[in-house]
Parts: sequence; C-alpha cells; structure tokens
Amino acid sequence: MYTYICDNSIDGILTGIYDAYADRHPLHDIHLSVSEGMNLSLFTQYIEVVPDAHKAAKVANTLKSRFGQDFYETIYQAAMSGDVPGKSAMDKADAIFETVALALASGDGTKTLLSLGEPCVYRVFELCRATGREAMHLLGFVRFQELENGILFSKIHPKHHVLPILGDHFSDRLPEENFMIYDENRKITLLHPAGEHYFLADAETLDIDAVSRFSADELRMQQLWITFFHSITIDARKNPGLQSQMIPKRYQQDAVEFQV
Amino acid sequence: MELSLQPDLMEKLAILTDAAKYDVACTSSGVDRGGKGHGIGNSVAAGICHSFAGDGRCISLLKILMSNHCVYNCSYCQNNCKNDLPRATFTPEEICTLVIQFYRRNYIEGLFLSSGVIDNPDHTMELLFQTLYLLRNKYEFNGYIHVKAIPGADPRLIELTGYLADRMSINLELPTADGLRSLAPCKSRQTILRPMRQIQNGIRHSHLLDSHELMTRKNQSVCHLPEVIRLSSQDPYRKRFVPAGQSTQMIIGATPESDYQIIKVAESLYDRFELKRVFYSAFVNVTHNSDLPALPGGPPLLREHRLYQADWLLRYYHFRADELLNEAQPDFNIYLDPKCDWALRHLEQFPVEINRASYQTLLRVPGIGYLSARRIIAARRTSRLDFADLKRIGVVLKRAIYFITCNGRTMYPIRIDQDYITRQLLSDRTQIPREIRQAGYQQLSLFDDQTFLASAQ
Repeated sequence: MYTYICDNSIDGILTGIYDAYADRHPLHDIHLSVSEGMNLSLFTQYIEVVPDAHKAAKVANTLKSRFGQDFYETIYQAAMSGDVPGKSAMDKADAIFETVALALASGDGTKTLLSLGEPCVYRVFELCRATGREAMHLLGFVRFQELENGILFSKIHPKHHVLPILGDHFSDRLPEENFMIYDENRKITLLHPAGEHYFLADAETLDIDAVSRFSADELRMQQLWITFFHSITIDARKNPGLQSQMIPKRYQQDAVEFQV
Repeated sequence: MELSLQPDLMEKLAILTDAAKYDVACTSSGVDRGGKGHGIGNSVAAGICHSFAGDGRCISLLKILMSNHCVYNCSYCQNNCKNDLPRATFTPEEICTLVIQFYRRNYIEGLFLSSGVIDNPDHTMELLFQTLYLLRNKYEFNGYIHVKAIPGADPRLIELTGYLADRMSINLELPTADGLRSLAPCKSRQTILRPMRQIQNGIRHSHLLDSHELMTRKNQSVCHLPEVIRLSSQDPYRKRFVPAGQSTQMIIGATPESDYQIIKVAESLYDRFELKRVFYSAFVNVTHNSDLPALPGGPPLLREHRLYQADWLLRYYHFRADELLNEAQPDFNIYLDPKCDWALRHLEQFPVEINRASYQTLLRVPGIGYLSARRIIAARRTSRLDFADLKRIGVVLKRAIYFITCNGRTMYPIRIDQDYITRQLLSDRTQIPREIRQAGYQQLSLFDDQTFLASAQ
C-alpha cells in the first residue's frame, strides 16, 4: 500500500498523479492524500510528493488533449475546494486520482464524469459543485471599499479557494480599477493593477492599518447603500428567515449592509 | 421623516426607492456581455444576486424611480396624484453617480429605472432616455440596465431608449381590460400593448440582423462558432435592441380574476408577445382606496407562489395552461403544487419507468426537475439506474416514489390511487405550505372547497 502525500494545490495533486503512475505500483494499491497522515497505517508506505510545475503541466496536457477542456476544468475546480463533508468523505486527491485512472482505463474517457454511480466521480462532482456554488455566491456578495489611495479593497472568508474565479470576473468587470481581494482564511491576496492582469500574492505582510483608511467619499456611499437597502423592503412581506436562508450568516459578516 | 424644501441625495434616494419597491421585476439575467477592456462593467447571463432584502427578495439592481411625481390616478399605486406624500425627482447626473459608485463597490449589477408620469409620457420617456444615454456614453457603463417604457410614449423615444437598455418592460398591471379600466382609467390596454408589440418587433428585427451577420462570417473563414457570437456581441458598433428581452408584471388579488384567467393571460403573453418573464406581484394595500379589496389576511403570498410555480411549468416543463386549470377548476390547489396536482388527476400516465422514459415524460414526474431529467438521460447511457442513483442525481424521492419505477419495481409497495397518494403526500408536513400548516388542525378531504377566499385565515 502506497500513500502519496500531496501539497494542497492543483500543482501538488497533478504531480502526485504523475509520480503515482511513474512509480508503476499496482493502481489499486495507490492512494493520494492532501492531509498530513493523522492516523498512520501499519503496512502503508508514505511518500512525500514535491510539487513540480513541469510534471503537473505534462499531466494537465494529457488530460486536456485526451478528455477535453471541460474535464480538466472540472478536475481543477474540484482541486480548489476546501473542506467538504460528505457521506463518503473521500479525500480530495484520492477522488481525483481514481477518476483520472478510470478515465485513462476506459475507451472513451470524456464520458467518465457522467457516471455518477462511481463514488470517486460523485465525490469530484460534489467538490466541483461546492467550489462553483461558493464562487457564484461571492460574485454577488463581495463588497469593495475605497481606500485613501483610491484602491478598492475587499475582505472575504471563503471555505474554498475561489480567488482565481473572482479574479477572472472582476478583471473583466473593472479593467480600469486598482483592486484587492483579501482571503483572510488562507492569507492570500488577489491584486489587480489598473489595465494589467491580476495576480495572487502571499498576504503575511498586509498592512492592516493602511487598509482601514477609507477615502473621503466612502462612508457617504456606504450610508447611501444602507439607506437604499432598508428602503426597498416591503414591510407587509417581512421574512427574516428567508433572508438568512438566501444570504447565510458567513457572507453577512463581510457585507456592509448587515453590519449593525 | 423630516421634509425639506430641497431634499438632498440621501433623502431623494430614500423616497424614490420606497416608491419603486412594488415593481417586483429585478433580475439581471439574459445577457452575456464581456467587458470591453476599458470603461466599467460586464453582464452575466445567469444574473447575480448581490443581496437580499428584509422580505427575502433578491437585490440585484439599483431599483429607483426617476421621479414619484405623477399625473395619473391609478387606485392601487401609492404615487398616484391624489395621494399626499413627499415627492422628489432625481437629475440624470445624480442617477449616474449612484449607479457608477455602487457598481464599483459591487453593490449592484446595474440599474432598474422607472418613473411616475411627469407632465406627460413623452417628457418622462425623454428624461429616462437622457439618463441612459449619459450612463452608456459619458460614463462608459457596460453593466445591466432595465428600463420601463411609459405607456403612451412616442414610439421613436421607445426605439432610441431600447438601443441603450438590456431589458425593457411595460407593466400590464391588471390581467383583464375591465380590471384596468376600473382601477387605472388613465391607462388603457392599447397604450400598454402597443409599445409591447413595438419592442417585440424590434427584438425580432435585431435577431434577424444577428443571424445574417453570423451566416456571412461563417462563410468567410474557419471559425469556432461560439467565438463568433461572442465577438459579435462585443462589437462596439453593433447596436442590439433590448438584448435581454421583455418582461411584464401583473398585480394579483386587487381584482376578482381567477387563477385560470391569470395563467391564460400569461400564456398568451409568452406565445404572442414572446416575453421572457411575467412577474406576479401580490397586492399590498397601500392606498386604502374604496375600490380595492381590504385583504385582512395580508397580501395573497401563497397564491402568488402557486402562480410562479405554474409559470415555471409553462416555460420550462412544456405544460399548457389548459392542462393545469380549466373553467370547472379555476383556482390552484392550496395543498399541492400544480405539478403534483396535475399528476394526481392523470394517474393513467404513471408509473414511469426511469430507464426507458423520454425526456418529456420524465419532466412530468413530480420530484424530477429539468436538471435531474437531463442527468438521468446522461447517466442512463453508461449504466442502469437504481433508486440510490436517483437520490444522488438530485431527484426528490419523497414525491417521486409514487410515480416511478426503476427496472420495473417501485421503491415501496404502493397503490396507484388518487386518495392513497394524496394522503401519503400530505402526511409529510414539510410538503404542505407554511400558511396552511399554521392555520391549525383541519380534516382534509378531496371534496373541500379549495378556492382562495379573501378572508381565508
């Protein structure tokens, strides 16, 4: 039994898949894992995988050319997910590895993602859906605040690694703005200088003081938005339960209109 | 609220948001338009919900009136000329500032602009046009704009505005001409349907131009089809007329029409005017006018919910209005949703075998939506499906088990019998709407009067 410990990133998982196939062990004996082995098993050999961009690129190209862009994107999105509880609760890297193995072994791998009967395929589907749902919610719930120096700053607390999806969307929407989205759970920031492509950066050295100084107009705009938000409710149809259902509390903490 | 002679921006926003809130249309959907690389804004076809109001409704657009001054006297509207309340008017520049600053902060997807009739329909429509023109051209706003057409405005103004907006709508207000005549004498069926027809023709014409361009480009070079469509929509010289289509709104409960009449009107609007959406707004009595019903039980929310369920059946599930209701049964069942109700009245079509049935047949099963039906068809290609697979696919087994078989067997032994299935469905309290559950103990019988009475609770 061999368990490959991968880095919790798409590069790490794809390198893990490369190494698993390169080492030529029987496929049913191989498992991949993104978490450090908590309960070490007696007869298992644990192999640490060092993420390698070249190996990952090779695997990615194979997947794209043999199974199509959609297949690759689903795998990618599943790899971006955080903690997703489920009945089978298969490990993220393990589920991806088994799906890829299934696709490589079958005649027409493009249909592999449709056989939801397989536990690994269903797990990949669950992970991909979880990430996609959170990204879709955050497209609406991200709130920017204008800082003194004109930069638009936003702080989010997502369960999954959705910054790349947000980056694509907001770069297209606000090409002439300097904006930042800070993922406080993972301590990563997305930075977009005006007119350029966005990039992700480590946020250990984020200046908390600088990001709390708002521009002169900012508070007035927030007040206008809060006025609008409260005026639009139809009192005869008040339904706080429905409101909490539609925008869960974990998104409300970052939205300016819900700050008391 | 304190009244000042010159209300500032904050007061105007409070007044004019409050004035616009009964227009329930607020989706930002229908257009996929990427950013242009400059300016600000893009549009996502699925629409994006930015927040949810205290009544649970989605907030997607900055929904405001240009002005709540109005020369008309519609009984149901709080802004009618007889009502005494603070009035205000935005300038086009003020609206543009609000839209751009809110959009930058990701509070909204775009603008929803309506207005009371200031002086006359043409003057009002001109002001709306001015605002949109400024927003699109001076501020380079590329996000979503939904504008209301003023009944009775000049067709040329409507056409010009249509090239700047994404969605344009005009409210039907009341389902029948009689209802309109009694509650809104300044409007008429003519002044509402004529602009609707004009917008429909404009959209059709725009689509013809699109497909012509598509054919000529296709012949020119080997190009991947979706890219061509994307290019065509980003072309700055391409002017599309109302790309997100038309919608309308009807008030439910202000006049005594039956559900059957309302749903027939909605169906003919979809068939003959090619509308994208019909909205149903439960009547909220704000003016306490004598020709309006008092509605002591509050606004008819359950009825509105049933109408939306029926509306979805018309649009996504290929039902016809006559299948759901008829003269003998003119109102929806309050205990069961329209799809379950139809299934129970047509038990000869069930049970449906999951591994063999066509897409159309699967759609008709209560508990199977269009997503589940598609997934079933896809999964069927590789393996035979069982009830465990159906649960994973997302089928609501609580409802579906009475109507389907997998590999020839039902999940539990059941009788295909109307009384039996109805009792089973209703014994699960979660399937009964909240308003009925909270009404207290009631002996159920299929012979109960199930029409909505204004003083029901």
